[in-house]
Amino acid sequence: MKVELVLNRDGVAETIAYEYVPREDGERPMALDVLLQAQDTEIRDLSHRYGCRNRTCGLCTIDINGRPRVGCRSRVREGDTLSAQATLPVLRDMVVRRDSIARQMRGRLPDRVRGNDLDVPAPDDYHDLTACIECYACLDGCPMHARNFIDGADQRDEHDAYRWGNPFSLLKLQRIRLDPVATAQQKDDALEVARDLGLDACRDCPGCKCGVGIDLKHKVVGALLDAAG
Amino acid sequence: MPIETEWRDVDVVVVGSGGAGGAAAHAAAEAGASVLVVSKDPIGCSDTKISEGIIAVRGSGEDSDTEEALSENLRVAGDNLNDPAITEAFAEDTEAAYDWLRRQGLRPTIDDAKGTAKTLPIALGGHTHRRSIGHRNGGIAFGHAAWNAIIQGAGVDYLEDAWFLDAITLDGEDDGDGDGGPEVVGALIYDAARGRFVAVRTQAVVIASGGLNTLFFPKTDGMRGNTGDSFAVAARAGADLIDMEQLQFLPFCITYPPAYEGLLAGEPATAGFLGVLRDAHGKLILDGVMLRTRAECSAAIVRAVAAGKGTARGGCYLDLTANVKAPRSGPYFETFLFTAIPRVMATVRQAMGKKAAKCQESWEVRPGAHYMMGGVRVDADCVATTDDGRATVRGLFAAGQAMGGLFGSNRLGSTSLSEGAIFGRRAGLSAAAIRPSTASSENRQAAIERIRDGYASRLGRDGNESPSTLIRELQKECWERIGPARTRDGLEIMRARLASLRARAERATISTETLWNQTFIDHIELTNMLDAAEAMTLASIDRKESLGGHVRLDGRQASLLFDKPRSVVIRRGADGAWQVGHVAHPRTPLRQLLVYLYRDQMRKVKLRMIRLLPLALQDRILERRYIATMGRRDAPEATTEGASA
Repeated sequence: MKVELVLNRDGVAETIAYEYVPREDGERPMALDVLLQAQDTEIRDLSHRYGCRNRTCGLCTIDINGRPRVGCRSRVREGDTLSAQATLPVLRDMVVRRDSIARQMRGRLPDRVRGNDLDVPAPDDYHDLTACIECYACLDGCPMHARNFIDGADQRDEHDAYRWGNPFSLLKLQRIRLDPVATAQQKDDALEVARDLGLDACRDCPGCKCGVGIDLKHKVVGALLDAAG
Repeated sequence: MPIETEWRDVDVVVVGSGGAGGAAAHAAAEAGASVLVVSKDPIGCSDTKISEGIIAVRGSGEDSDTEEALSENLRVAGDNLNDPAITEAFAEDTEAAYDWLRRQGLRPTIDDAKGTAKTLPIALGGHTHRRSIGHRNGGIAFGHAAWNAIIQGAGVDYLEDAWFLDAITLDGEDDGDGDGGPEVVGALIYDAARGRFVAVRTQAVVIASGGLNTLFFPKTDGMRGNTGDSFAVAARAGADLIDMEQLQFLPFCITYPPAYEGLLAGEPATAGFLGVLRDAHGKLILDGVMLRTRAECSAAIVRAVAAGKGTARGGCYLDLTANVKAPRSGPYFETFLFTAIPRVMATVRQAMGKKAAKCQESWEVRPGAHYMMGGVRVDADCVATTDDGRATVRGLFAAGQAMGGLFGSNRLGSTSLSEGAIFGRRAGLSAAAIRPSTASSENRQAAIERIRDGYASRLGRDGNESPSTLIRELQKECWERIGPARTRDGLEIMRARLASLRARAERATISTETLWNQTFIDHIELTNMLDAAEAMTLASIDRKESLGGHVRLDGRQASLLFDKPRSVVIRRGADGAWQVGHVAHPRTPLRQLLVYLYRDQMRKVKLRMIRLLPLALQDRILERRYIATMGRRDAPEATTEGASA
């Protein structure tokens, strides 16, 4: 099976044709299988991330034919192109720099809630949002996240955090708003942070797509927009 | 271009960002220390995150549950290799640790009647009480908690995509209090995302960077990042390692297709009343699987395979078909499986098909590396210690899977998530209380620069070996020789192979890149894997009998009742040479032990008797049992969480 791998080295992208050799008859390989075999045979210093091989850790996201996919559970077909996630800066080959996403939440999460009753059940939506594995597939097509790259360069602050938000950060904020243990003040603060990250960009957006099937459009963005009025 | 170095001054460096690292960083910062978390994978992406999300909390299910009971459960399961001070600390802290996790956003299902977190309806194997709490989204919910604790940032800074290279030590000045031994003065980190070294002047390093299951890739269900860094770094810094032969294998892992190889396909506890193990020819090799430990089941499979009765892929068959055949109790079993381990069953269906997922055919299974029970020898406050409880290196701590002493030879289900939070917090508090090093700033600077220059000189090294190829070769050797079945001959061959792989690693080609240098990263991990494998090999040679996770095909089975409990200690001398020592442990009082063993035997006998009953009678008895724990089928209790761990 022929696939194309886009390697990135020293800022230069190069497309390599790779012939995947099935290990057993009828094997339908995942993208991660292809990358592992390429690393074991022709490209010994191939850089790619992976972790659990079970669609839970969120590390192996790559683009397949230009769309973000969780690599360990996405089958590859003849002629497919595998490349690094286009929505984040490439460090090397399939590895992107993810950190500036998480950094925008620093100082913006509730901490050290004491004295509250921990035995209050959380609503179903809270758990639905907790299913997020942080694969960052949701960055694809996000107008808010795209604002970080308007002039072709990253817009990161002095702490290396992106100025503008994304569905993942909004999910983290909406989780606070759904948390029965969070205080009213913390919930208000979470909404304020969402506004500051550029929530307004969501008003004209047809909606985001989650890598593991969370209803971001209604349960995250819609809920925050409703609250923002 | 030569690689640059960024210098930092930090009170506490925490290596790892999972359940233990997150708790350690948060606790140290709360105690007033400045903290730097170093993580090679993105924050929170650890074994904690990919676990089944079931945590043991004393007293959560039954009021009669005591700290003594929990501590003794751990010690009996661990064949008394456990350090009682550590099991007692564990039993003392489970509730506080669980509250801490909940303050980070972990939300259990609340039991309406009790008004507290709902526990699983059964006591997991080896626990005498119901005390395991499952969570929606499994370990992902715990991953969010660790993420929050670190990202939030009050007093905690972090680096991800950063490889912790070494803790740097110097002999401290004896100022009269007798602690003139080695002490931590610094740490060296490779920050791959920024393409530079980070040299830290610090007095405390908490090692919380997980286990070594990647030695056995792809026959493992753990995270790729578990390359034995914890043990290698600690041993190089001068710490003792304990119980390094004790690796927990999950008995029932998937063998095919390759994308699913090594992933979990259920636990002994989820095998149902009638689940059995069969060899490749269908012959029974282990009955009463439900009440067996992971170690017993793994041993049965590898012994059958070693005797030539395994499948072509080196496995045996887990046969759960009898559970579903019965007309009355069968449907209960199916419901049980899909409510107890929904995530696992989804994986089973994808890998083996619908018929297998309905348990209408047997599953081909093989053990897979899961959890390192041995590790850095510490006391109950996570201080790296040596004989007589003395600190080996002042300022060095370990927590979570990195530490040894808690589980001995066998870890009970649902205890590792508690372990991470409990001992992470303890390590963080201990580290925050360490006074600054007494070494002069010139000596400290020189010591850090010496280590840094050594690592820097690897960049651009010319050779004829590829580090990633050597890693694959090492992984094959590890599975063959220090995997779930070990022999004296195999272990001796392993030592020779390790020596040859080390020599070849010296000849590895490493590029000059500074930003994300893959060959350098591979070489760092290869070195750590070789160190971890060496420690495991030496401990496995020393323990000549089978015990817990350590199966010696050429040795007798050790006995909890008749053998004196004794751990193997591995350390490196001043010259770097490996040394082997021992430490004896107190035993569980004989009377208590007999009660445990008697109860265990009775449960097994009862289960065997059920299997021998006429089918109709058997069916009705099992139906009653299921109803007792799950409620009637027409009014099923919503148990959405898991029963494995």
